[in-house]
Amino acid sequence: MTENNTNDNNEAGEPERVVGTPKADEPVVSDATAAPEAGEHAGPYAASETHARPEETQRRGEKIASVWFVLAFLGGLGFLVSYFLFPPDAIGAPQIAQYSNMLLGGSLTLSMFGIGAGMTAWARQVMPHYEVHSPYDELPSSEKEKGSFSDFFMRGADESGFTKRPLMRRTLILAMVPLGLAPIVLLRDTGPLPGGQLKHTTWEPGRRMVVEGTDRAIRAEDFENDPNAMISALPATEHGHHLSLNEQAKTVILLIKIPEGDWQERMKEEVEGTDGATRLNWTHNGIVAYSKICTHVGCPAALYESTTHRILCPCHQSTFDAANAAEVVFGPAHRALPQLPISVDDEGYLIATGDFTAPPGPTFWDYAKD
Amino acid sequence: MSKTTQAPKALRGVGNFIDDRFHLAKTGEKNLRKVFPNHWSFMLGEIALYSFIILLLTGVFLTLWFKPSMMEIVYDGSYERLQGVMMSEAYASTLHITFDVRGGLLIRQIHHWAALIFVAALVVHALRVFFTGAFRKPREINWLIGVAIFALAMVEGLFGYSLPDDLPSGMGVRILQGVMLALPLVGPYVSMFLFGGEFPGEDIISRLYMLHILLIPALLLGLIVAHFMILWHQKHTQYPGTGRTDKTVVGTPMFPAFAVKAGGFFFFTFAVIAGLSAFVQINPIHLFGPFTPTSITSGLQPDWYMGFMEGSLRIFPNWFDLTIFGYALPTAVLVPGLVVPGLIFGGLAAWPFIEQWITGDKRAHNVADRPRNAPVRTGVGAAGVTFYGVLWLAGSNDIISETFSIELYVSTYIFRVLAIVGPILAFFIAKRVCLGLQRRDREMLEHGYESGTIQQLPSGEFIEVHKPNSDGMVDILESKPTITSTALADDADTDDKGVENPEARKGSGKLRRALARWYTKDNVSFDDVEAHSGHHLHHSSHEEEKEAAH
Amino acid sequence: MKWITARRRHPLAGYVVVILALALFGVGYAALAPTAEQAQAQTLAADAPSQENVDDVDIANGEDIFNQTCATCHNYDGSGTYDENGEILRGPDIRGVGAAAVNFQVSTGRMPSMDPDAQMPRKPMAMTEEELADLIAYYNAQIRTGGPDIPYDVPGEAPERSSFEDEASYEAALEEYENEYDSYLEGADDTQMGMQLYLTNCAHCHGWSGGGGALTDGRWAPEIHDATPRQIYEAMVSGPGAMPIFSDGAIEPEEKQELISYIKTLQAEPDAGGIFDLQRVGQVAEGLIAWVVGLALIIACAIWITAKQRAHD
Repeated sequence: MTENNTNDNNEAGEPERVVGTPKADEPVVSDATAAPEAGEHAGPYAASETHARPEETQRRGEKIASVWFVLAFLGGLGFLVSYFLFPPDAIGAPQIAQYSNMLLGGSLTLSMFGIGAGMTAWARQVMPHYEVHSPYDELPSSEKEKGSFSDFFMRGADESGFTKRPLMRRTLILAMVPLGLAPIVLLRDTGPLPGGQLKHTTWEPGRRMVVEGTDRAIRAEDFENDPNAMISALPATEHGHHLSLNEQAKTVILLIKIPEGDWQERMKEEVEGTDGATRLNWTHNGIVAYSKICTHVGCPAALYESTTHRILCPCHQSTFDAANAAEVVFGPAHRALPQLPISVDDEGYLIATGDFTAPPGPTFWDYAKD
Repeated sequence: MSKTTQAPKALRGVGNFIDDRFHLAKTGEKNLRKVFPNHWSFMLGEIALYSFIILLLTGVFLTLWFKPSMMEIVYDGSYERLQGVMMSEAYASTLHITFDVRGGLLIRQIHHWAALIFVAALVVHALRVFFTGAFRKPREINWLIGVAIFALAMVEGLFGYSLPDDLPSGMGVRILQGVMLALPLVGPYVSMFLFGGEFPGEDIISRLYMLHILLIPALLLGLIVAHFMILWHQKHTQYPGTGRTDKTVVGTPMFPAFAVKAGGFFFFTFAVIAGLSAFVQINPIHLFGPFTPTSITSGLQPDWYMGFMEGSLRIFPNWFDLTIFGYALPTAVLVPGLVVPGLIFGGLAAWPFIEQWITGDKRAHNVADRPRNAPVRTGVGAAGVTFYGVLWLAGSNDIISETFSIELYVSTYIFRVLAIVGPILAFFIAKRVCLGLQRRDREMLEHGYESGTIQQLPSGEFIEVHKPNSDGMVDILESKPTITSTALADDADTDDKGVENPEARKGSGKLRRALARWYTKDNVSFDDVEAHSGHHLHHSSHEEEKEAAH
Repeated sequence: MKWITARRRHPLAGYVVVILALALFGVGYAALAPTAEQAQAQTLAADAPSQENVDDVDIANGEDIFNQTCATCHNYDGSGTYDENGEILRGPDIRGVGAAAVNFQVSTGRMPSMDPDAQMPRKPMAMTEEELADLIAYYNAQIRTGGPDIPYDVPGEAPERSSFEDEASYEAALEEYENEYDSYLEGADDTQMGMQLYLTNCAHCHGWSGGGGALTDGRWAPEIHDATPRQIYEAMVSGPGAMPIFSDGAIEPEEKQELISYIKTLQAEPDAGGIFDLQRVGQVAEGLIAWVVGLALIIACAIWITAKQRAHD
């Protein structure tokens, strides 16, 4: 017969009850046809809770489960074979990689599914269906137990002196405080302080600009004759010097050619901190340069529509008007894209004449302060 | 009569060896006898557990080759198309796993599919627990652990997504950095410290790697173990039914039946994930190309579980952005980046306590509610799901607007409206549906179920024959609890000596009463219903037969 | 039908229907979704000969075509139709757009257009290759005042069977075309350059795989799977629709070759991760599959494991 199933900490509760024996007010689910006759039951749970399958079902279940297990075995073999089917230098070709992936994955799937299905057939057709009743634990401890515990704990605490000797207690807490701060202090050297770094870039007067990817400097005449041109550009570097990703992330610009007459009001405004220069003064023959990094959270706002002069950020759809000082016309961005003042040098190459009007990239709290 | 077979000698040896040292026979038997209610919805959490195990196994495999380094190198591996391209070592080593390690691509895809399914299983599991009220006392702490697992899983997924340093993954990190930078006062510092300098710097991948393979998995593992131990101790809830009470659980015992079922289910879970990984390409980083901060692609999305964050970043307008003394407060970043996830996770964590405060119900519950029997909770859940779902959809608004030819900005406006109106509508609809189902239940309890058989009476009238419910169904229907709140009890305003309770007159007391009214009104009462007492039953077929016999 | 009737009230019937529907959905998707090879084949099939056999063009025929199909909107001299405010009425001035723009618009089926206000999707070309050649000859001779030329050395449309008398000559032409196509793509050797040019100037609209994307005001950047290298080139130099211009000054022809080779090679590459590429949409499609296929199948297994059996209903 079965051992009882009540929890150890239930001793104070109701008397121990044999699993499966119904309480007086509790109906027992039983299936008369499936329950074996009394006295014949050998399973671990009460007969009334064990609905054995007919022998015929069990035999069929065994066969089904075995077929699945054999399939799983074959799948597992297939996995091993698939592994060695392709030499390691062959899977560099995407087509071979695909075959290899599908063979390995397919055989693994078969193997896993076979085991799962076999076990399910086993549980559902060979094993009996159980409907075992088991008590939930009584949750709160009895008042007596609680009282005893609390009494014991407070006596111990008092005797230890922790409650009665405040000087010792308080100095111990005091001793912990600096240690608690130590892990935070230790993180200080994870990075430099921001300082002014976020506010300045390496754009400087006379810096030429190159097309990203070709690293070829751009002449104004390559660009200014197209009615609606756009290109993503970076500052030119000394020969052989590779622009770091950090520099790229801040200096990248969109060069856009806006047809004459499409300029809007804001372009004629004077730029703050200059001697009367307007934004239009900072363009060259209709070519304007804006930071490519969105002022929202920093994706490259690169989607330029030549018909509407909108610059759209594909991440969160902040939209800037390239013909109107890159003002925000839609979406979540906080401020306009910073403009880069440009001109041409003696050889006709486009150059910057200074740094951006404002810090490029995502807006931070003191971006507008020097 | 068959005899129980004696345990084989080897097994007895091992058993004795262990028991000699741990005294486990009694505990062992008790645990093997643990009962699991037999319903598929109780296995949703297991999907998450098994996916997590798969993630651990495949993750270990991937670390054998992955190099968490941002050093720029020129690729010369066996994937021809990208030979000669500048990339970080992290990206190159992911290409190595894909194209030079046999089975590497499969394991990578299993890892990614398992991650998507892990979080999805967490969500459906949490929804099951929410809608059936299984978070109620005594299980509030396990609910909180579950919410923490959900939040950590999202972060874990985001960091893992960032490691290969491909184009979309780097953009995910960039957006994370942009949100950090927007924090008032501390933003630039947090960003500089996390990235070891400006974006992208040279440290972020190795730092995220440490978080992804060590710190967060360890936390997750600890929480999952705690979740499981609490569950084991408190046992599952169960759906109402014959013999199922707050005192007694009915179901399949761990040994032998449930162990085999659960074991089989692990293999099923693995099989489905392996099948997807074999045939459905996921996150083809070799096609995306390496990350540079200047490149971007249209249709850029995070993995689905970050979709609601992406969506709220997209639809929250900049109308509330502030400038205070020249200092910027970009609420269009801060609200979607911090407030929205705070609302969702905070709301999830707080709900059990809010509900308990409203109803004053301090009893322990082991029988799960049918969602219809707690209409306000179901409505609130539906509203939450809708809010989350709208934000999630909004995270792909560019793809939606392209696919269904909706103007991009219009789609943003639609989602802005839906994010507010949708949850409200969902609340009322879900609540009405619940009440309708309650009414149907009452009808069924009183009159039996509609058998689908139409009979013509001698008078020419057509009726549908109602048949009596099975005993099990009657038990389920009669289990409907009456929703009450102690705040509305007659003596709520006075204490037990009849003195007016000062608490009840305070603002919080009034709020509680108002909420209690909102929570408890509109319920269909089953109090006076006797099973099968309705007149329709007199038309049921065997009654007809009796009449015919007369 | 009796078999179904008997079982439709089975407790599992609802789940079975759901699983069947999902399976149908999956199979339907798999059947409809083009694979990379099909896409490549479509690209090749959409192309047709338009080589520079300028000798046998018929300018008079080109004039007829222009006057019949283009002049209504673009005017007989190509100066367009404008209202008194200078707003385009039906079609813009095309005198300065160049032969590359004409060839792009007509060969991608976007012109002639029925609705000048709407953005035009890619369609089969409305005229034959010969007619297009005649039209372009007429445009070059009588209307054009500037603009880029057709890049004849960039592979355009593949030959079509219908324009050849017999199978052998068609196959020879096809082989020649494919050689030309391959050597154009393989002539590019700087993946870094092609990739950077594409990802910094094109991918933000057309997507990393050329799948297209949404623009504002209900417009969209088209997918460029079917576009021939020549059409991509022409689009870059002529800037159709809202697309900006990438002239040969900003991106030189050899650099354009790198760019085109990058995207065309990427598009033609088989999917290493499995036969279902989810149309390379990316994370949205992956999330959808994880839910409606992955999680749904696993839950179906859970239902199977825990389902009540008939004996105990």
